[in-house]
Amino acid sequence: MWNIISFETLRALKKKSFWIASLSPLLIILVIFGIEYFSTKSAASNAAQQAQTFSATAKIGEFDDSGLISQQLIAARHITIEPSKDAGVAAVKSDELDAFFYYPKDPSTMNIEVYAQDKGISFSPPYNTAAIQLLRESVINEVNSTIKNNQVVQILEKDPAVTATTYKNGVETEGLLSVIAPGIFAIAFLVLIVLLASFMISSTAGEKENRTAEMLLTSIKAQTLIAGKIFSIFILGLVQLVTLAIPLLIVLLYFPSQVGLPAGMTLGLIPLNFVPILFGALFFAAGLLLFTALLVGFGAIFPSATEASRFLGVAIIAAFLPIYALQNVISSPHTLIVTIFTYFPLTAPLTALLRNAVGSFSIGESLGALAVIIASAIVAVWFAVRAFRYGSMEYGRRVGIKELLR
Amino acid sequence: MRFGPKEVVKNLSFTVKQGEVFGLLGSNGAGKTTTIRTLLSLLDPTSGTLLVHGKRYTPAMAATVGYLPEERGLYRNEPVLDTMVYFAVMHGLNRSDAKKRVLAYLERVGLSDKAHERLISLSNGQQQKIQLGVTILHEPSLMILDEPTEALDPVNRSLLMNIINEQRTNGSTVILVTHRMEEVEQLCDRILLLKDGISALYGTVDEVKNKFGSTVIALAYSGTVPLNEKLYTITKQLPHYAELAWREGVTVDEIFRFLASVPDLHLTTFDVRRPTLNEIFLTLYK
Repeated sequence: MWNIISFETLRALKKKSFWIASLSPLLIILVIFGIEYFSTKSAASNAAQQAQTFSATAKIGEFDDSGLISQQLIAARHITIEPSKDAGVAAVKSDELDAFFYYPKDPSTMNIEVYAQDKGISFSPPYNTAAIQLLRESVINEVNSTIKNNQVVQILEKDPAVTATTYKNGVETEGLLSVIAPGIFAIAFLVLIVLLASFMISSTAGEKENRTAEMLLTSIKAQTLIAGKIFSIFILGLVQLVTLAIPLLIVLLYFPSQVGLPAGMTLGLIPLNFVPILFGALFFAAGLLLFTALLVGFGAIFPSATEASRFLGVAIIAAFLPIYALQNVISSPHTLIVTIFTYFPLTAPLTALLRNAVGSFSIGESLGALAVIIASAIVAVWFAVRAFRYGSMEYGRRVGIKELLR
Repeated sequence: MRFGPKEVVKNLSFTVKQGEVFGLLGSNGAGKTTTIRTLLSLLDPTSGTLLVHGKRYTPAMAATVGYLPEERGLYRNEPVLDTMVYFAVMHGLNRSDAKKRVLAYLERVGLSDKAHERLISLSNGQQQKIQLGVTILHEPSLMILDEPTEALDPVNRSLLMNIINEQRTNGSTVILVTHRMEEVEQLCDRILLLKDGISALYGTVDEVKNKFGSTVIALAYSGTVPLNEKLYTITKQLPHYAELAWREGVTVDEIFRFLASVPDLHLTTFDVRRPTLNEIFLTLYK
């Protein structure tokens, strides 16, 4: 069987289409991360820089009812102090000032008011940022000069890290973080179904198209051949997951805030609970086996990979169907639709993976769903072997299910 | 053997002796390929038993059998060496031995420079050589070749003939499934001719010829072959070729002397022979 596994795996790994398929999701994710990172970073830094430039060059006035604005900063930036709010507004209207900032008595609850010249959409100075910047820097200066505590300044300058503790029925729970580890199996399942489905179908349809089936079947048992093909597909799946996971882990480990992870969130905080992870792995492996065997079998009964791929859409929709009932799967796991999805073979893998991840699965239910998936996978493997044994020599025509069962 | 309501092979029984070349003959749809597929357990017989080396064939016996199916092909997008090694390993060779044999075979058939090329980049003739190599590389004691010369060019046909001869010399048994009678005449010791799934002729080539037809005199000539009711009848006549069936009690010498004495007849060939298998085949299918 090793001969088949190595041959099948290596020939797939040598195909450009495999790597294009494997790397395209990663590329999309990295592009999104990149856009988010650069847009956030550049937007923030640009706004801050523009605000500083604007403050230094424009004619700005202010009136401070809060008493928080630093006189030193006002002097350094050549900001004029207007006699009153009304006077400041009038100065803007008469074009004596580019902008006027009014700081109310309590800026923590009341709005800062900005009055400024309309320079058009294409050249709109960062009036608001400049007004906030002035207040923020004034407060930091004030705190720094009075408290002399570096920690306080740092807390004011950047968001502090947060650790959340949640309880359920008085018992501490791990909250949303506990979904992540078992949830990864659901994501991996969906990713592999999408990426590998065409490989699954063409692994047998290709033998039919290449007219190699008879030579293979006289040299090796159909069971061994199908097992070898399924193993090789699993290896390819593993390669694809690793290809996706390594760069994502690097990004999440070293650039967490830049890609939008919540403040204080690190990979080390993700709880690794044995039971949900074990069930996640079992649902994932059995579900993948079920779909692989099913598609390998369908590849053998259709005359070509192109014709077999018509079945591909049906299989993928069946695999993804639980997504449409996601709200129920998460919040109302004992409704009829979720129960049907949990025990119907084609929807069972993803439903079980999702319920296992969100913690709405008892051990009994998990074992029941696992039994359904494993039994279905065994039937699917039997079907694949039979389909290849009797369907792969029927060149140019589709073999009926009835013929296979005879 | 039955497919649904249709019985495609009926009451068939035959034996192939070790070391012989056995011809399984018949027109298209006669049941030859079905018989071979059943022999190799690719199909399950409706009733009866087919044995290879005294046992029902299983893939565990692959090392002893080289099968060239009628519907054949290889992985067109894979390199020649990888594909041949893959099949050789599947036939029981270890990887390094398989690689050595593949390279030696490619050298022999003039394709050593193509070892790392993809099959699709090879010509049809070159691909056929690769296909033959896959069948014989593991030196099987039984070769089953289903329509092996179909679509082969003359070079590859000659190569295949040499290979079959070599295998026979080395003691291998060959089952040749074909409807090309000239190949059967050249290679086969015994034959089985299937017609509509039934054994129509079975035995050595001599036995079949003796059973089926009488000896004829084949003439190649210029001029005119005269009629002579006392000595012979003309069974077939073309402008420069004729076949004569001689009368009872007449000797070949008498006919030869008579024809040699005819003034406007110039004989280039005078061949006393039995009917060809092709003639028998055509008669049987009339």
